[in-house]
Amino acid sequence: MKHPSEEHDLIRWIDGEMSETERTTFEERLKQDPVLATEARQMRALSTSLRAHLPAEMRVPHADYFNTQIEVRITQMALEETRAKQTTPGWSALLQWMRQPWFALTGAAALAVLGFFLVNPATGGASESMILSSYAPNTHVQARTYHDDGAEATVLMLDGLDAVPAERKVSGINIHRSAVEPELASTTMYDHQGTAVFMVSRDALGNPRITPRR
Amino acid sequence: MPASASTDPGEVSDLDLVKRSQAGDTRAFDVLVTRYRGRIYAMTYHLIQNETEAWDLAQEAFIKAWRALPSFKHDAGFYTWLYRIAHNVSYDWLRKKKIQGDGEFDDERTEHRVAAGAEATPKGDLAPDAALRNAELGHRIQDAIAKLSPEHRQVIVLREVEGLAYEEIAALIPCSLGTVMSRLFYARKKLQEQLHDVYETSI
Repeated sequence: MKHPSEEHDLIRWIDGEMSETERTTFEERLKQDPVLATEARQMRALSTSLRAHLPAEMRVPHADYFNTQIEVRITQMALEETRAKQTTPGWSALLQWMRQPWFALTGAAALAVLGFFLVNPATGGASESMILSSYAPNTHVQARTYHDDGAEATVLMLDGLDAVPAERKVSGINIHRSAVEPELASTTMYDHQGTAVFMVSRDALGNPRITPRR
Repeated sequence: MPASASTDPGEVSDLDLVKRSQAGDTRAFDVLVTRYRGRIYAMTYHLIQNETEAWDLAQEAFIKAWRALPSFKHDAGFYTWLYRIAHNVSYDWLRKKKIQGDGEFDDERTEHRVAAGAEATPKGDLAPDAALRNAELGHRIQDAIAKLSPEHRQVIVLREVEGLAYEEIAALIPCSLGTVMSRLFYARKKLQEQLHDVYETSI
């Protein structure tokens, strides 16, 4: 077994960590010591082969899935943090983000109310439609809906809202049902034909994200 | 410390992406993940020697980085910072595996009886260039590394793959410079012992 200082000299020579003076002295020593010289050459060759066979960058298997899973985990963490701060369960909690200031900034004043309309098939009545969640910067605005089977349309009534300019186009989507996907920390909305219309989720800061599904 | 990946002139800088990520922009963070996943995965793979575990640990490193982003100071490069996180995640995993006693990493018991110049090293001039180009040698090297202790595997990866200076390795582990050099010496001796037949047939 070598003295630690000999081991260190050998390692430093292999790795080019010696000063010029140290290197010259050590190489003189190698000339005097064939066993050490052989060992030094062999270890240097090993080092070279390691570098050749250990790439610093590798292809990541299923790279897209790798990224997606990270995003999902980040979203889940944000949801868990938000849930921990909230006491209100159910839909109102899931869509709590609609009450965030971020959302107010994105909404035009004339369209200050956003609601998801869930047509309830169990009741079967023409007027059965409900708002799951809404946000209005103006607290005097109240939203109501009325679903007309004949017209296959839901009417959104915004009481207390300032007049909407005639040129402003307002449209909505009838949501027949929804499904929560805990693993993705998201809710997917379906129309009456069972087609996924969009997915509601939240980014890491809890900001809303609506992803069209068709 | 490991340098960040070279970026095209038109590419968004790490700094910009980090700032956007710190503001909650997951898309910016996704760009950083894409930019560095190959290097982080390579590091975890070399340390862990298991594709599935390395994949999971690389992910874990990015998620930990996301959570720690608010405390990230811009005085260090993002990749250096990320690399440190990934290294710690992987090394913690290795140590836990060692504690659980999976029958690996037994070189600690033999470390001090591997004498320099002993028969673990091949005779004559070492010129295994042809063999080094052989894919089989690559597998042999991976197998040999897998049999190293976590401590020895760690210094080999940090030095041979990442090209870290001794001081940087000592700071990252952390340990003394002397420990770094001793571990490097014995790790290489152990690898030479493992690859003894390869060297012998190549000369």
